Amino acid sequence: MPTPSLRRRLLLYIFAPLVVVFAISVFLDYRLAKETADAAFDQSLVDAVLDLASHIQTDGMQPAVRLSAEAEAMLRSDPADQIYFAVRDHGGRLLAGDSDLPDTRATTDNQPEFSDRRFRGHWIRAAVQAIRSPHGDISITVAETLAKRNRASGKILTAMILPNALVVIAAFLAVYLGVRKGLAPLEGIEDEIAARSPRDLREIGTIQAPREIRPMITRLNALFGLLRDASAAQQRFITDAAHQLRTPLAGLQAQIELAALAGSFAAEPDRLVRIDEATGRVGHLVDQLLVYARADPSTAVTQTFECVALAALVEKAASIFLDRALAKHIDLGFEIASGFVAGIPWMLREALANLIDNALRYTPPQGVVTVRSGMRGAFAILEVEDNGPGIPRDERERIFERFYRIPGSSSEGCGLGLAIVREIAELHDGHVELAGQNWGGLRVTMLLPAAELAQS
Amino acid sequence: MRILVVEDDSLVASSIKQWLVHAGYTVDLAASAEAAEISLGAEAFDLAVVDIGLPRIDGLTLIRRLRSQGNPLPVLVLSARGSMDDTISGLDIGADDYMAKPFRLPELSARVRALIRRTHLIADACLRHGVLTLDTARRTASIADQTLDLTRREWAILETLLMASPNVVSKDRLMHSLAGWDKDITPNAVEVHISRLRNKLAEGSIEIRTVRGIGYRIDAAAV
Repeated sequence: MPTPSLRRRLLLYIFAPLVVVFAISVFLDYRLAKETADAAFDQSLVDAVLDLASHIQTDGMQPAVRLSAEAEAMLRSDPADQIYFAVRDHGGRLLAGDSDLPDTRATTDNQPEFSDRRFRGHWIRAAVQAIRSPHGDISITVAETLAKRNRASGKILTAMILPNALVVIAAFLAVYLGVRKGLAPLEGIEDEIAARSPRDLREIGTIQAPREIRPMITRLNALFGLLRDASAAQQRFITDAAHQLRTPLAGLQAQIELAALAGSFAAEPDRLVRIDEATGRVGHLVDQLLVYARADPSTAVTQTFECVALAALVEKAASIFLDRALAKHIDLGFEIASGFVAGIPWMLREALANLIDNALRYTPPQGVVTVRSGMRGAFAILEVEDNGPGIPRDERERIFERFYRIPGSSSEGCGLGLAIVREIAELHDGHVELAGQNWGGLRVTMLLPAAELAQS
Repeated sequence: MRILVVEDDSLVASSIKQWLVHAGYTVDLAASAEAAEISLGAEAFDLAVVDIGLPRIDGLTLIRRLRSQGNPLPVLVLSARGSMDDTISGLDIGADDYMAKPFRLPELSARVRALIRRTHLIADACLRHGVLTLDTARRTASIADQTLDLTRREWAILETLLMASPNVVSKDRLMHSLAGWDKDITPNAVEVHISRLRNKLAEGSIEIRTVRGIGYRIDAAAV
């Protein structure tokens, strides 16, 4: 079903009756003009009748028509039409003229009567009038073909239609522009909504809105409000949950370190190391879960975007990850070029941290990990490349699923890292690419729409 | 050195206290912002460790109040909000450093040490790193009381690296720190100075580590 357009409906409902009104008006005008023209032509027929009447002589025994050949030629002469006539006495006897002209009798005295009929294969217009005489009424009929009249009505019609068509076009333009201008505020609101990002839940201004659609916008704004509240509540919940989860974990972690310091597990030092590792993993999982929950598009709507310099982000990451790389004898290096995006700083930091964390986790000792920032086409990129085992081609899509781990890989990761990276990339209208050789190695690239640098 | 730990979770608070006492500090505990203000009013401290998620008055408000009273006490913030909170990591609330929970105790004491060192640099103008001491007032450097012979450029690079430690310093920043003497210093020149510095620092087991693509970080064997 096509979407009903208010503008199209308005145009249809205004313009259709207008066209009907114009059609009726043209028809009436035409009728009036044609009648006037016909009356003039009819009058000339009557003139011919009276002219014939003057040639009737009633002083003899029988009425007679004394019509010279010249006079008859004059009567019949017409540049366009054939003229027929017949003069008949009271009994219907032809006194002069065309005998086959139908014998019609006027019903009234001294008044011409007109009729249209077929004669000799053409339509004719006939005038008939009865003339009083001592020998009874004499009927005079004069008729002509319709060439003149048809030509005249043709001219009248063209003369009528042309100006009327102009009026119709002018009216259509006026109506079209009027409807457009009248509906302009609607389009303004439509544009405003269309230009919004899905994250933008601000209220729509009602000041510019026409009274008719204000109730609709108010409802829409109420809905936006509900979504904002839900998102804010979600954010609060995550913050509270973070606090409630992390504080006891901090206590636990500290106790383990104190136990190690005091030599409490001297008999089984391995056990303490394992407890420590497990605690570290729980801590990491809590962090990842909270980041994943907070980067969820429905939760992230209330977060503010700002201009983020990727080069600075990567430079900071160097200080954070250097010790881990050194401990594993991994050559952690950087290729930093400038790139800016409109983004949520903590999320981009988190995404980059996940990429580097993954690389350091899965690259064996003596490996090489390189972190890059810069531009690729219209995208600003964050990229981490390693020479670790890589990801088999058929696993490359599944690896982005939550909690998915490649079968047979070591168990230390929690399986949320790349899911978080992808979620954050998509929240920034970007995407993630994986590349690698069959023999191994992995390059993960986050491509984010580059910000235009208004402020340099 | 006396440290005030403001933390309402008793397990975390007692662990921190035990660790820092073991590291040689005197430690007082406060379980709320109100208790902390009373302690700070009564005693002199060298540093405060403040948890953000305190009951009633939160840690941020406490720090803001301290700063509005003109108290310059160095503050290390503990946050359970992790990396998500940009206001904390931006340190624009008047805190000097921050750590996310859960944290490693050795890292906590390293940060405490660094903060106190930075404060004392203002007092006695000395930067210390392992056996290396840099006297910023006299512009002298020594390893285990043996004076090091440094050029002014080497000295400037060493100062920049020590001030930033344990963070990585970009080559760009080192070039800026030398711009006072050389207008058009090249990255190669920086490398030359670094390599000379490495030779001079070798006997103190102090290492200037190259971070591929960025710059350098100064490392020392644990004290």
